[in-house]
Amino acid sequence: MKTIKQLSIFLENRQGSLKRILSALSDQNIEIQAASVADTNDYGILRLITSNQTKAAALLSDIGVLVNVNEVLAISIEDNVAAFSATISSLTDNGVVINYLYTFSKDGRLVLIVRPADMEKAELVASAQGFQLIQGWE
Amino acid sequence: MERKYWEEEIETMPRRQLEKLQVERLRKTVEIAMGSKFYAPIFRERGITPESINSVEDIKRFPFTTKNDLRSTYPFGIASVPLQKVIRLHSSSGTTGNPTVILHTRRDIDEWADAMARSMYATGLRDTDIIQNTSGYGMFTGGLGIQYAAERLGAMTVPAAAGNSLRQFKFIQDFGTTALHCIPSYATRLAAVFKEQGVDPRDTTVRIMIIGAEPHSEAQRQRIEELWGCKAYNNFGMSEMCGPGVAIECQEQNGMHIWEDNYIVEILDPVTLEPVPEGELGELVLTTLNREAMPLFRYRTRDLTRILPGECPCGRTHRRLQRFQGRSDDMMIVKGVNIFPIQIEKILMQFPELASDFLITLETVGDNDEMTVQVELAKATDDFQLLDNLRREIARRLKDEILLTPKVQLVGKGVIPQSDGKAVRVKDLRQNH
Repeated sequence: MKTIKQLSIFLENRQGSLKRILSALSDQNIEIQAASVADTNDYGILRLITSNQTKAAALLSDIGVLVNVNEVLAISIEDNVAAFSATISSLTDNGVVINYLYTFSKDGRLVLIVRPADMEKAELVASAQGFQLIQGWE
Repeated sequence: MERKYWEEEIETMPRRQLEKLQVERLRKTVEIAMGSKFYAPIFRERGITPESINSVEDIKRFPFTTKNDLRSTYPFGIASVPLQKVIRLHSSSGTTGNPTVILHTRRDIDEWADAMARSMYATGLRDTDIIQNTSGYGMFTGGLGIQYAAERLGAMTVPAAAGNSLRQFKFIQDFGTTALHCIPSYATRLAAVFKEQGVDPRDTTVRIMIIGAEPHSEAQRQRIEELWGCKAYNNFGMSEMCGPGVAIECQEQNGMHIWEDNYIVEILDPVTLEPVPEGELGELVLTTLNREAMPLFRYRTRDLTRILPGECPCGRTHRRLQRFQGRSDDMMIVKGVNIFPIQIEKILMQFPELASDFLITLETVGDNDEMTVQVELAKATDDFQLLDNLRREIARRLKDEILLTPKVQLVGKGVIPQSDGKAVRVKDLRQNH
């Protein structure tokens, strides 16, 4: 597996629901590498990459937060839009359908977190294209 | 050898024979009720006579009796016998309108004591026990009803009555009380009093607790059992039927045996008033078969329950009622449609994606009623599509059941308000409600 773990958290559209999650993580010194919030009128999904996904998932569950753990691709590229564009092109040109993606900077490079519709296919394409894949910080 | 049942012949009577007994007693009850100013004209109108009763199914020819009927005939309008034959009256509080009155002849009191003694015996209580009754000895049937039954059983009975927890504490220790009759919330409160006094309730001689007259969950029962280191048995009574002694859990603690020699049991859909399929949830409707002063036919208890399938290992043939699941008078009228929270619960329970709590909110939007159902997700997902489909599917299935489409809102754990550990099911914010 060349993937990393992602936490998807059900977030009510209510004041304080994000704060509760962040303070729980900070209390246990778990660092957030990347976060993305997608929302509808009533609820959202908070996606998180943290320094310790297993521990984060367990401690959030314990305080009654609904957490799902799944796999995503983390592709490390040069931090410029040309590299971003080239990477997305090689994925889509080779038939990879992207459900969603978000990015963050790390050590002067850009990391793309990609959730493809078909993970197996995306992994094959990523290997064939020689992408630099991060296999987790844990 | 100690006998296993209080009245073996009745308690283990084969079903067919039990039904024959029911028919006999229904005939007798009709004969008695012909003396009631309330029932006599109804019987005439419907051609109901003792001779016309041939099977338990004939119960369908009777109209329902409701609490309202008891109120509108207050105090003695339903009586089937001359008041001179009545030796006791019990009454429920009249917080809304008239109170209700229930009358008893000497035989009624006698049969009632026997039914409750039979119930106590089924929990393992014996004449060697010391039973402390913490119910009020007044109009409430939990006082005298339990007193007479415990005496009938032959146990030493301590009529401690309600309240004064320090005195209860002292009595339990001084007398070596082995059994308590109380409402579930008092069992917990009294345990706290013991702890304040530095005594662990587990170290007392209390071994059996008869709890009832207050809705409670299985978790509450287990908590009481842990606190006291005893067995707690759910006991169902209602003053309209006599009082405590209508149904009780045996030592299997799996459903309450309802004494079918004394009652005809129906479980009906509270909307259509037709029987629900065997084993499904509906309103408990009871007909008394062993009462004289004030027999009631097809009395709508408003309690929602189901008949548990199969036979009980204890050998009693009287069917078992599940712990009550709520009240049918929680009915809401939304856009002219009658809806019960239980209908919504039933649908929501079919979704493994959901946890058990939900909240129905009713609001006035413009001139219209609007219903929102908040449902608690059981687990998270990374897939919006899944949540969206789930929401749509819930709305669709609810519409099939309640004939209008509610707004469905997905929420996480702990959002739905709780009151006394029980989820609040309905919040009615409509104007004029």
